[in-house]
Amino acid sequence: MGRIFDRPLTRQLAGLAVFLAVWEWAARSGYLNPLYIPAPSKIGAVLVTLFSAGTIWPHLGATFGAALGGLFVGLVVGTVLGAAAAMVPVIAELLEPVMILLNAVPRVVLAPLFVIWLGIGLASKIALAFILVAVLVFFTVFTGIRQVDRRLVERVITLGGGRATLLREVYMPSVTAWLLGNLKVAVGFAFTGAVVGEFVAATKGLGYLLSFAQSTYNAALMLALVFLIMLFVLLIFALSERLEKRLTRWRG
Amino acid sequence: MLRIADLALSYGATPVLGGVSMEVEDGEFVSLVGPSGSGKSTILRAIIGLQAPAAGKVELTIAPREIGFLFQDDALLPWRRAAENVALGLRLRGMATKPALERAEEWLARMGLEGLGARYPRELSGGQRKRVALAQVLALEPQLLLMDEPFSALDAITRARLSQDLLRFIEARRMSVLLVTHDLEEALALSDVVYLLSRGPKARIAGQYPVPIARPRDVIKARANPEFGPLLERVWQNLSSEIGGAAQSEAAWGEYSIGL
Repeated sequence: MGRIFDRPLTRQLAGLAVFLAVWEWAARSGYLNPLYIPAPSKIGAVLVTLFSAGTIWPHLGATFGAALGGLFVGLVVGTVLGAAAAMVPVIAELLEPVMILLNAVPRVVLAPLFVIWLGIGLASKIALAFILVAVLVFFTVFTGIRQVDRRLVERVITLGGGRATLLREVYMPSVTAWLLGNLKVAVGFAFTGAVVGEFVAATKGLGYLLSFAQSTYNAALMLALVFLIMLFVLLIFALSERLEKRLTRWRG
Repeated sequence: MLRIADLALSYGATPVLGGVSMEVEDGEFVSLVGPSGSGKSTILRAIIGLQAPAAGKVELTIAPREIGFLFQDDALLPWRRAAENVALGLRLRGMATKPALERAEEWLARMGLEGLGARYPRELSGGQRKRVALAQVLALEPQLLLMDEPFSALDAITRARLSQDLLRFIEARRMSVLLVTHDLEEALALSDVVYLLSRGPKARIAGQYPVPIARPRDVIKARANPEFGPLLERVWQNLSSEIGGAAQSEAAWGEYSIGL
């Protein structure tokens, strides 16, 4: 009997079960106001309805589209700008202050601006996810290239390697390792951008549903959505972790 | 093979080398010893072109690509397997990937690393990584081998075994070598000629000592040779007087191992 509780996971699950049971009991026996904190079973029921009625899918699609779109464009643009700045001093002089300024603003405050510029459609959400990711990726690639191991560079030169070899054998793998190390953060940023963008102004998306739930005082829907976003971000974390492990096996 | 004439070099405003002249004959094993920070490594870097000299000449009777450079640390490409690291130099000389990898495996076996070609550098010990680095350089069959304190990070036993293996190889191929080391005994045991570099700034050659011990040599038994002890003592005394004063010499030569 006691053996089962030797594993941390079992203990954690047991803790969660107790927490949910107390919560459920407290809600049912009227200690918690259901308007503010509905019972876990109520939240679960909302989740089931969202999926069984199929109403959630267009919203999920919108959020994922915006997050992944922003992530992709942000990765590409951030990498190109970071690499350019690391290799051409003039570009670094011009870009670094801009990036530092952008980094100094909590970038989600740009959301209303993007709505004015790009409308309440998908574009403004992609833009917000993009700006969050691109600044992070810029600094990752920029410092990644600058901090490349000089010894490896010299080694490849003495073996007879030129610029192309250095790029392929030293710079690209080293920057890829840095990027993969920050991939999880980038994914989190992309979802933050998408959801916040939808929250500010949209016609669909998880962020839009959240703002809808807020305006209708629907705490059960709100908590269900928070749970859902948590779940999906965790899923993508796990995927990017696997990708990182796979591509950096040499790191062990 | 190699002739350096009045080589002078500065790092920014700090002069490092103040006119260094030395030679490595064909098939000769030459060592360069000197205090840390005196510019020993800088001489090697100038020969291979990683550092531009301010004055003086580096003359080679061979093409630069015939030079092998063994660095002090064993920094291999961490994302490449041992065999891929060794094959890189071969591929850069135009060999196709598959034969290059086969050749790399042969060289790893020759270095005592049979069957370890698929390991990543982090999966190897320090001594094994050093052997991979050696295979990487030797696979290109250089005519002149430049080594920058190649064994300094290894423990004494690994160090003795590795330098013996390498010496056997160098003697068999009549390879020319320029070794930078801070270990006077190691320098005398391995070399035909030992050069002393004076303390910087503006370091110069302060002495040149032929080592009259027959080849092929055993790096341990060479130390028992009757010529070895007196020679070591003579070089050491010249070193001390070159630097001037016992106290100072202790500070400047603190890293030297002297087995008198």
